[in-house]
Amino acid sequence: MLGVNKMKWLVRFAVLVIAVILVGCGTVSKNGSSSDGNSEAEAGGKKKLIVGTDATYAPMEYMDEKGNIVGIDIDIVKAVAEAAGVEVEFRNYGWEPLFPAVNSGEVDLAVSSITIDEDRKQSFDFSDPYYIANQLILVPQDSDVESFEDLKDKRISVQINTTGHMVVKDLLGNTSSKIVAAETMPLAIGEMLNGNADASVGDNVVLIDYQKNNPKVKLKTVEDDSFEKEYYGLMVKKGNKEVLEILNDGIKKIKENGKLKEITGFDVE
Amino acid sequence: MDFLDFRFDAIWSYRELFIRGLWITLGLTVVGYAGGIILGLFVGLGKLSKRKWVYYPAKYYVDFFRGTPLLVQLLLIHTALIPSIVGHSLGFFVSGVVALMLNSAAYNAEIIRAGINSIETGQMEAARSLGMPHKTAMRLIILPQALRRMIPPFGNELIALMKDSSLVSMIAGSELLYAGKVVAGATLRPWEPYLTVAVLYLLLTFIFGKLISYVEKRFSNSYVPSPRKQRLSFGRTQAGG
Repeated sequence: MLGVNKMKWLVRFAVLVIAVILVGCGTVSKNGSSSDGNSEAEAGGKKKLIVGTDATYAPMEYMDEKGNIVGIDIDIVKAVAEAAGVEVEFRNYGWEPLFPAVNSGEVDLAVSSITIDEDRKQSFDFSDPYYIANQLILVPQDSDVESFEDLKDKRISVQINTTGHMVVKDLLGNTSSKIVAAETMPLAIGEMLNGNADASVGDNVVLIDYQKNNPKVKLKTVEDDSFEKEYYGLMVKKGNKEVLEILNDGIKKIKENGKLKEITGFDVE
Repeated sequence: MDFLDFRFDAIWSYRELFIRGLWITLGLTVVGYAGGIILGLFVGLGKLSKRKWVYYPAKYYVDFFRGTPLLVQLLLIHTALIPSIVGHSLGFFVSGVVALMLNSAAYNAEIIRAGINSIETGQMEAARSLGMPHKTAMRLIILPQALRRMIPPFGNELIALMKDSSLVSMIAGSELLYAGKVVAGATLRPWEPYLTVAVLYLLLTFIFGKLISYVEKRFSNSYVPSPRKQRLSFGRTQAGG
């Protein structure tokens, strides 16, 4: 099962490496541009985009039992690709390696519940937003926390380098030792359940999914209006107009024909 | 890839994280190592025992902790073992120290066993033929010689343990690597934070290396106490002494 997948991947990788070497050793390419990497291949006349993700973020992007990358984000990108008339191939990179991979052109775009924010805009370009997310506070059932302000003197667990992490850093200070930044959201919630944190902050969709999957765990969610709404975008290398146009075209189309609402359950303006 | 476009101002504004990380890495290393030596001594002697009920537990202990990845042990201890024994987690530091201690004890046990086995059997035989009991011969003849041979591998173990302590960042332990990860995520710049972390680790390795080479020198056969510490100079006058 996994072996066959691995083999396929290895073969693909080998072909890619050989192609890279051949291209690298070849004469000057026709258009002379080598701005984006070697991940673009023509697949049956259709342009093929390599999509990187961090598949540890159910239900947005995660691995199913067979090891396929699935999730809401994945469905959206597939719909976008279909609408724009391109092929896509998904690759799991993990959160932190994802950014350098986009930069080096290893992948054409990244989809991983990436919030569009000013910091990231300096280093990358984003498509139009395709999803709205909101931060939620998760606390034990008997907790008296009612708003984000109540967490000022508490220990808060988050998933490292997510938006939740950022808002908590704003509340407690960038280098506060009360922030428990775990590797994944389930681990962050685990830290809270095991008593290393008093509350967890994370994306609505992930926390609701966690509660759905763990009905026995006595937790409650607290909403706070002070959290800004966040817009997820598809991330491409800075200056990669070509791919950006394809993506925006696809996003526009699925917004218009209702496909996006079908996947996520709400409209995004 | 632009190698010369480094901006360390972000690192500087996060310096508290790095400094705290440095101390926590140091703490994890020192406490874990001390515990590992003490525990390793018992396990190592257990592996030398002729009694089956002492030998086998020690053997299986070493097999388990050398045969599974430290990261797996760490996650097991932090998310499963301690919460189910105590009822709640005791924080990453306790989990980290326990994992590092148990892990390095297994390696130390092997170092101790090998060190004792490396002393020629003739030494024991000679001591016994002089009428020494086994225990006394061990204490006065075998162990002092074996201990000297154990020092270099113990030094290696210290440095290996320090590097392994970076895995504690996986359970949200705010040590050095964690600081690097947080800053890399906040600035979206991979070079500077991780490079800073690497340099800080090198600094620690350098300090430990100096310490190890001092201990090695101190216990070597050719050790000569420095003239300043020499009480008896046998009539020779020391310049500046």
